[in-house]
Amino acid sequence: MADTTYGSCCIDEVGALHIDSECVVHYGQTCLSPTSVLPAFFVFGKASINVSSCVKHLIDYASKSDKPIMILYGLEYAHVIPQIREELGLSKTDSQLSVANVLCSFISPSKDPRESMEHPRPYSESDSSDSLSSSRSYRLGGLTWDLPEGSKIEDYLLFWIGSDSSAFANVVLTFNGCDIVRYDAEEDSLVTEFYQQRRILKRRYYLVEKAKDANIIGILVGTLGVAGYLHMIHHMQALISAAGKKSYILAMGRPNPAKLANFPECDVFIYISCAQTALLDSKEFMSPVITPFEANLAFSRGSEWTGAYLMHFQDVINSVKSESEAHIGSEEPRFSFFQGGYVEDHKTNDQAKNGEEDTGETMTLVQAAEKALQLRGNDHNSLTKQTAAKSGPEYFLNRVYRGLEINSENTLPEPYIVGRSGKASGYKHE
Amino acid sequence: MVKFTVEEQRKITDRKHNIRNMSVIAHVDHGKSTLTDSLVAAAGIIAQETAGDVRMTDTRADEAERGITIKSTGISLYYEMTDASLKSFTGARDGNEYLINLIDSPGHVDFSSEVTAALRITDGALVVVDCIEGVCVQTETVLRQSLGERIRPVLTVNKMDRCFLELKVDGEEAYQNFQRVIENANVIMATHEDPLLGDVQVYPEKGTVAFSAGLHGWAFTLTNFAKMYASKFGVSESKMMERLWGENFFDSATRKWTTKNWLPDLQAWKDKLWPMLEKLGIQMKPDEKELMGKPLMKRVMQAWLPASTALLEMMIFHLPSPYTAQRYRVENLYEGPLDDKYAAAIRNCDPDGPLMLYVSKMIPASDKGRFFAFGRVFSGTVSTGMKVRIMGPNYVPGEKKDLYVKSVQRTVIWMGKKQETVEDVPCGNTVAMVGLDQFITKNASDLPKLVEGLKRLAKSDPMVLCTMEESGEHIVAGAGELHIEICVKDLQDFMGGADIIVSDPVVSLRETVFERSCRTVMSKSPNKHNRLYMEARPMEDGLAEAIDEGRIGPSDDPKIRSKILAEEFGWDKDLAKKIWAFGPDTTGPNMVVDMCKGVQYLNEIKDSVVAGFQWASKEGPLAEENMRGVCYEVCDVVLHADAIHRGCGQMISTARRAIYASQLTAKPRLLEPVYMVEIQAPEGALGGIYSVLNQKRGHVFEEMQRPGTPLYNIKAYLPVVESFGFSGQLRAATSGQAFPQCVFDHWDMMSSDPLETGSQAATLVADIRKRKGLKLQMTPLSDYEDKL
Repeated sequence: MADTTYGSCCIDEVGALHIDSECVVHYGQTCLSPTSVLPAFFVFGKASINVSSCVKHLIDYASKSDKPIMILYGLEYAHVIPQIREELGLSKTDSQLSVANVLCSFISPSKDPRESMEHPRPYSESDSSDSLSSSRSYRLGGLTWDLPEGSKIEDYLLFWIGSDSSAFANVVLTFNGCDIVRYDAEEDSLVTEFYQQRRILKRRYYLVEKAKDANIIGILVGTLGVAGYLHMIHHMQALISAAGKKSYILAMGRPNPAKLANFPECDVFIYISCAQTALLDSKEFMSPVITPFEANLAFSRGSEWTGAYLMHFQDVINSVKSESEAHIGSEEPRFSFFQGGYVEDHKTNDQAKNGEEDTGETMTLVQAAEKALQLRGNDHNSLTKQTAAKSGPEYFLNRVYRGLEINSENTLPEPYIVGRSGKASGYKHE
Repeated sequence: MVKFTVEEQRKITDRKHNIRNMSVIAHVDHGKSTLTDSLVAAAGIIAQETAGDVRMTDTRADEAERGITIKSTGISLYYEMTDASLKSFTGARDGNEYLINLIDSPGHVDFSSEVTAALRITDGALVVVDCIEGVCVQTETVLRQSLGERIRPVLTVNKMDRCFLELKVDGEEAYQNFQRVIENANVIMATHEDPLLGDVQVYPEKGTVAFSAGLHGWAFTLTNFAKMYASKFGVSESKMMERLWGENFFDSATRKWTTKNWLPDLQAWKDKLWPMLEKLGIQMKPDEKELMGKPLMKRVMQAWLPASTALLEMMIFHLPSPYTAQRYRVENLYEGPLDDKYAAAIRNCDPDGPLMLYVSKMIPASDKGRFFAFGRVFSGTVSTGMKVRIMGPNYVPGEKKDLYVKSVQRTVIWMGKKQETVEDVPCGNTVAMVGLDQFITKNASDLPKLVEGLKRLAKSDPMVLCTMEESGEHIVAGAGELHIEICVKDLQDFMGGADIIVSDPVVSLRETVFERSCRTVMSKSPNKHNRLYMEARPMEDGLAEAIDEGRIGPSDDPKIRSKILAEEFGWDKDLAKKIWAFGPDTTGPNMVVDMCKGVQYLNEIKDSVVAGFQWASKEGPLAEENMRGVCYEVCDVVLHADAIHRGCGQMISTARRAIYASQLTAKPRLLEPVYMVEIQAPEGALGGIYSVLNQKRGHVFEEMQRPGTPLYNIKAYLPVVESFGFSGQLRAATSGQAFPQCVFDHWDMMSSDPLETGSQAATLVADIRKRKGLKLQMTPLSDYEDKL
């Protein structure tokens, strides 16, 4: 079993290491995320497709638009690509068509996951100034393609062959500025309406805004294999603490609403996983689940979403690097779209202290007020009142039930009672 | 043209006895801005001839276009009194020069926030009332507001010209009319008896009521006449004043008081205008004699009784100086202990004390993206380059949040359309400051621009709420249709002309239930080991409102709460003690109540059920709108014996599902917001008003003729959903004679069943779900309810 518990697209490296394996063969749908320890071989499977019909649709569509077309496809259709190429080559209309390549079907881990981060290949739009490469290459969901110098991906029309899978959703999100057409092999038809997918983008934007208001953040470990995941977790931790918020790392397998609801103190979760499983969105979740890229937007002050969307760890970290250099933290309070006004984030203590020294005299009133006695209600009888907790223990204090009930009136020692033993499925005495 | 220099003006700002900070408040269209103009003219900023037409304080293009004030505007006026007119002034003064910081505020109900902002930084208010329309809703609202802020009012009965020229009422009738207007205003003021402020009622005989015609630029108080007569007939001025108002008439022939009043006298004068004018010693230029009718009257009256003299004198005589006012207003102004040095500095209006300044609003500056912080110095002196500590609106004493240090780059005195930079401004004055905002860097892409624009909008207008919809759309919420229209326009300006897609206005609804759940519903936890039994029922009448008003809330003493619930709403005493939570946001008008008996571990799941309830009450099952007026009863619970299997992970979503199921079984209904509309129109327009109201599902519940006028006062209920375009249609149907004022009044239940396909409510639900990007079909009951 090569799949992880997190999703069927990733390789279960930890499981494989348990049996001292030296290589993993993975069958079926995959995200082709780079592995961190073991080499892996992928078998994509071969889904049936009517090649000639597909090509016919493609050519029909191409003739309608004057944009160059980039053909992308689900990996299960990789086997027919040479055939399609051939047919297209036969009916050579012009050089307007280009086809993406499969990255490779074999991945060997890079020695140091950090190394691949430090020396990135030109990944995305933001690197357009990179003069070293004559053409820019893109990678997404196991596909790779080059664009000739001087052309932008926005100029292309993306033609996707395959089903409406999460890989396709990734394409729509990442290239939200492009026109995209999908050829559904099973239905043998073209789909051009992607209202739903565009909607996802808006919804993600909402989640980012919501995350900005969060005080406690849960980092969900959603992969143990994808290269650089540890680096990403550390990065997120640093980011969150720099924003003056509190983070907790949680490893829980594939998240579901019931599991996440066990941590009601977390206002938002960051799901660190491979690109194809990263988008978790359901109304069932009590708190939103966002990707590291979105977390970056939400927690680094001053960064603003311009519409670009990144899924891979490497892209995210690179973009952060370029951004953090350009950006010097502004002092302005943050505008919250949920509270409908400006809010000041809770700074970490040492930051606040620095500010205090600067302003000595002007602070006196505040300090006086701080020291003044404040009336606190007797919280035994009062109903729960919402206060934004800044850390787990603080949240816990607001709860009515705190685990053990100590009967303060009766201080006599209680008699010793033998408890139950066994498992919940069947106790010893049952 | 300006009769005074900035230096002069700056000099007076030091004389705290000679400053008056006042705002002009009134109902929409009663002539505030026009009257303000006359005052501005007196200061020499605009020509006397154009006063009344320029509307100096309507600085925005859209204000001029619509002829209404949208933003409150500050203006500082310098005025020099003659020794003669000051001789009866008994208060402390410092020379004859006076500085009047005046704020013109909008009268339309949608912009009430602007009035609130203006009131805090002034000590007195000039209440303008139309002599024909009388005291209206908005007059009442702002008057109450100002009295709450301990602001001393003076009254001016405006549009006297209308009374004489349009209605042609005779003196006695007019007198009765004015008397009624003043009485109405006094009734409101009388309800706000405040020992510190003293008697705030206005009396013509004391000179606190003026009679004015803003458009014509004339006004008088009885003081004017008293003085005139006094010198003529050798009666003492104060005695004259008392006699002038009321059922007295001074017969000049016999020198005896009779029981008539001065108004016929005034009327008579007009007939014998020319000889009288000469008698009064007014010099008219020859070309002015050619003018006839309205312009004639305007010119004559302007020359004889200029509005500024009467009004300014009234303000100077009867409104408090900052020194006087801050003495009693310190309680309103300062939150901290009233015996510390800061309170003392405010109380004494001490220019050498610690700087205490209240910023009432942010005014967008002409260079895009910058704001002036407009406010009032209560103690100390604010100067250029000074470092100030800003406590934001969310500042809580004792915490460091919402607290910043900024330096004032420039201090500015506001003079209508232009601003003058000054070195410093001492306490007691209004001031605008540059540098208290944050320069916002511009970005190329449109989305950040929009976000930026929304931020600025929220900054410049405290009544706007910029939020976001689940589907990722931005929502701009405002007080009314007109308000929103202005906001969207501002937003476009802020964005530098980038296109924005503005959807139709969205009205938020509430979800509620009609009757008790038809059965007790049960939901199981995801692990099937726990069961929650619940029922929903509508709250008693008035309970939701009581919660809204804060009479009942989570922070009450449980004993008092259960007493109110038992006595007013017929709750069982014990049950009232078992309220678990209010929701949404722990304060909303929904409740969850524990009805269980003898259940183990119940307190352990309380937090989880409450969390689920907060969640569910925020997003109801119909269209994910807030719930309102629903009481959920937890009837029974069956829990797994092991704590881990009844943790919050299991219980929160179960509670939510059970709440949804219980609501769906209790005849769910939608509540829609309803406006109370007040319309004033002449009789002929009534037909048009009724037909528009009928089209819009509105109904009239009060129709009253204003005594002494041909005007009718109509009060009606109008669903907010239907109100868009209402005022436009109304104007069209009545050829511009009716102008509505809409105020939110209550929530009204929509009778149709949203669960029945094709009903009106069901289509509404479908629309909302579509807008929010939800599944078009409501989740069926079976998904929320489990079988045993």
